[in-house]
Amino acid sequence: MIRLSEKYQGLAELTLERRTDGQLWASGDDWAKPVRVHRCFPWSEPGRFLSLRDDDGEVALVGGLDELDDPSRRVLESAIAEAGFVLEVTRIMNVEEEVEIRTWEVETRQGPRIFQTRLDDWPTTVPGGGIVIRDVAGDLYHVADPTGLDGKSRKWLWAFVD
Amino acid sequence: MERETQNAIDRRIVERYTDQPARMPVAAREAVEGAWGGRPVQLYALIDLDAGMRLDEAWLALGESQVAIARRPTQRGTPRASDSVDETWEAQTFPRERLQAIRETPGLSGNTLTFLGVPDEPALAVVRYTHRQRRAVENVRFVLEQELEGRSVPTGDADDAYAASVAAPIREAQALVAGKQGAVLWRLLSYLGRYRGQVILGFVAATIITGVSLVPPWLAGYLIDEVVRPVQDGVMSVEDGTTVAWLMVAAMAVVYLVRQASALIRLRYLAILGEWVARDLRTELYEHLQRLSLGFYSRKKTGSLITRVSSDTDRLWDFLAFGVVDASLSAVMLMGLSAVLLSLDWKLGLVMVVPVPLFCWSIYKHGEHMNRFFIRAWRKWSRVTDILSDTIPGMRVVKAFNQEERETGRFNERNVDVTDEFNRIHQSWTTFWPVLMLAVHATTVAVWAFAMPRLLGEPNAEPSLSAGTFVSFLLYTTMFIGPMEVIGQIARTVQRATTSAHRVFEVLDTEPEIVDRPDPVRLEPIEGQVAFEDVSFGYDGVRQVLRGVSFAVKPGEMIGLVGPSGGGKTTVTNLIARFYDVTAGRVAIDGVDVRELDTGHLRRQIGIVLQEPYLFHGSVTDNIRYGHPEATPERVIEAAKAANAHDFIVKLPLGYDTIVGERGQNLSGGERQRVSIARAILHDPRILILDEATSAVDTETERNIQEAMDRLVAGRTVFAIAHRLSTLHKASRLFVMKEGRLVESGTHEELLAEPDGVYAKLHGLQMQLAVG
Repeated sequence: MIRLSEKYQGLAELTLERRTDGQLWASGDDWAKPVRVHRCFPWSEPGRFLSLRDDDGEVALVGGLDELDDPSRRVLESAIAEAGFVLEVTRIMNVEEEVEIRTWEVETRQGPRIFQTRLDDWPTTVPGGGIVIRDVAGDLYHVADPTGLDGKSRKWLWAFVD
Repeated sequence: MERETQNAIDRRIVERYTDQPARMPVAAREAVEGAWGGRPVQLYALIDLDAGMRLDEAWLALGESQVAIARRPTQRGTPRASDSVDETWEAQTFPRERLQAIRETPGLSGNTLTFLGVPDEPALAVVRYTHRQRRAVENVRFVLEQELEGRSVPTGDADDAYAASVAAPIREAQALVAGKQGAVLWRLLSYLGRYRGQVILGFVAATIITGVSLVPPWLAGYLIDEVVRPVQDGVMSVEDGTTVAWLMVAAMAVVYLVRQASALIRLRYLAILGEWVARDLRTELYEHLQRLSLGFYSRKKTGSLITRVSSDTDRLWDFLAFGVVDASLSAVMLMGLSAVLLSLDWKLGLVMVVPVPLFCWSIYKHGEHMNRFFIRAWRKWSRVTDILSDTIPGMRVVKAFNQEERETGRFNERNVDVTDEFNRIHQSWTTFWPVLMLAVHATTVAVWAFAMPRLLGEPNAEPSLSAGTFVSFLLYTTMFIGPMEVIGQIARTVQRATTSAHRVFEVLDTEPEIVDRPDPVRLEPIEGQVAFEDVSFGYDGVRQVLRGVSFAVKPGEMIGLVGPSGGGKTTVTNLIARFYDVTAGRVAIDGVDVRELDTGHLRRQIGIVLQEPYLFHGSVTDNIRYGHPEATPERVIEAAKAANAHDFIVKLPLGYDTIVGERGQNLSGGERQRVSIARAILHDPRILILDEATSAVDTETERNIQEAMDRLVAGRTVFAIAHRLSTLHKASRLFVMKEGRLVESGTHEELLAEPDGVYAKLHGLQMQLAVG
């Protein structure tokens, strides 16, 4: 189900492309505009219900990737990968508490990282599986499979997962 | 000097808490400045994601006329805190004049900033970065966007701006850089300084308690060896023995008397002393909280601040009153006991003393081990309290949707979960302590085992250990347990106290962001002219809430601020009252920059009526004369009448003496609003701010309030925010705010004459709604 916003109703099918200016463009019969993609359910339905928006609001709501033609789908896949990017934790080296904050030293799929969380900001479980930790700057760290981590990492994480 | 210190702290935070450099590497800067023909870098930000969204280290730099991105040619991997000059960097640069737009695409953790040049041509540059870098990137973006709009923004020191941006989220979570535990402890103890007499008395009493505690076991040994046995062996006469024995009993009585008298002095003086220190801290904290700017309150949770004034100071009382003395005297006691045991009999003494450090260490390790359990239990406990704080205030919704059973189930599940966790803790400590005590008792058994042969002696030889010494020994060994426990837990006690002290000092050390200059201007009287000159402002340093807003308002004008939510209307009023300082531009009252005015004096001339009026717990009178406690009853009634509040107030059984309850909960929304208008009328401000003052009441009440407002606004400069445009019929001019910009201004008629304007559209929509 691709639901075009009211102002674009009745126009031809939606196509998406990454133009030379680096932006994601949505276009129909006689219109084209740069859009941003927002996932309605980033954790529970990451590949469905994708809202394409410009500064004035929603241009289209894409129900699923399979509703687009191949080139558009590939473009949208890369756009949602970018929009949904989070650091994927693969190893936990240390967790240390100080006044008001907790410092995590981790290895992520993207490289090593040290970050802080507030003491009362606990990791949360996500519908798609695993837990997510939010640091003081707002960056998200996803531990996709806490039980699949090495023993030492699991020991550090023990206090934070059920 | 203060600024330097803050910058140094920011750099220290970046170095200590992140794995990224505290400033742009010299080599990268040189590469950029080299490419710019030696022109300096004005601002910069770390770009920590590469095109493949891997952690990386590149630098976005802004120069006078250029923008550059510095990358290592073959780099891969992660930002590291290095400042080495031998690294090679490549700078990709483009002139600022080619920039036509900047587009940010925010993501969950990765943001993309695209620098756009001529349409349909490749972007000038694309950078990706995590939220940690967002403020620093935003600094660069802000300057560029302002330039695109024809404004120039001065930039400060590039290193300072970068370090402040990266450190800000950590500083907001923890204003002090932790780690100087000793310094914090010392500062805490300095609060005892003004009560030196009591401290000395308490310490002396505690020392006496420790000292005399060592006497009874020694007396018991002496009695056995020097009186009982000589009498039993016939070496001493019964009469002499009796005399000495009674003397011993009397000595014992004196010892206990002295001990308890000292205990009384110690407990009383130190408990009172702790209360005094806690009182001093609470007073200092509360006074300081009153001085802090609103920005501080928006960053900190109310609960956390209340905890600091209440629980933290209470915990510090406990530490100062008992923790300090207990810890130091336990150490003295352990050393004293060890010395006494070794001097009584060094061989037996060693059997008892050698394991003591091991016991203390195991208690310490047990505490560390338990910490993980506590974190887990604390996390689960917060899940229980989350439900309570969620559902109790929202009970109407729970009931309306018939979700009582589901909520009970949710609560029970979490309650069971947390109970399991607490039981896990109980299981751990109830195992540890009996095992530890078994080890201590094993030491006592070892003492017995070593002592027995020497007590009984070899055949035909005198025993090498007297019965009295042995008894003294056994009594001393029982005294080890208490101090050992205290010493084992000392790390935890000190840590808890320093944590509380940190939290308290964090508030005390936060400087108000709004500070008057040394010789502020007092406008007497304020005419009420208000001007915004190219004002830009953001609350969090990332999102600009106001962008280049300019207007001039004459004294006595009523300005209606309208526009969609989030457009910046309330922010305009916040800047007029100088609750915050502008990021760029200036706000002037009667031609004088508000930063040059005496803030207290300025605010006394500004009245504010909010959508949700805030009344304090107290009587109606107290609330009406909140700004003027000296106002006479006549003036209070006069203000209430002008606010259309007098009639409802006198109908209350206790009239003006009615207690309004916490936040005014005993009054209806419309009544609270009218009390707050009466408060503003009595305050008699030159500039009045009405923030959605009539939006939450019924039509009849609104009419009452509107009448009151009409009286209130007469002769003052008024800024009225309203969503319902009909409430602004008296406005001299309307300012339409959208996305931080003043997009339209003029009279109602002038604005309606622009059919495609924001105001005309808003008005059209509201008219449609009114018609139904």
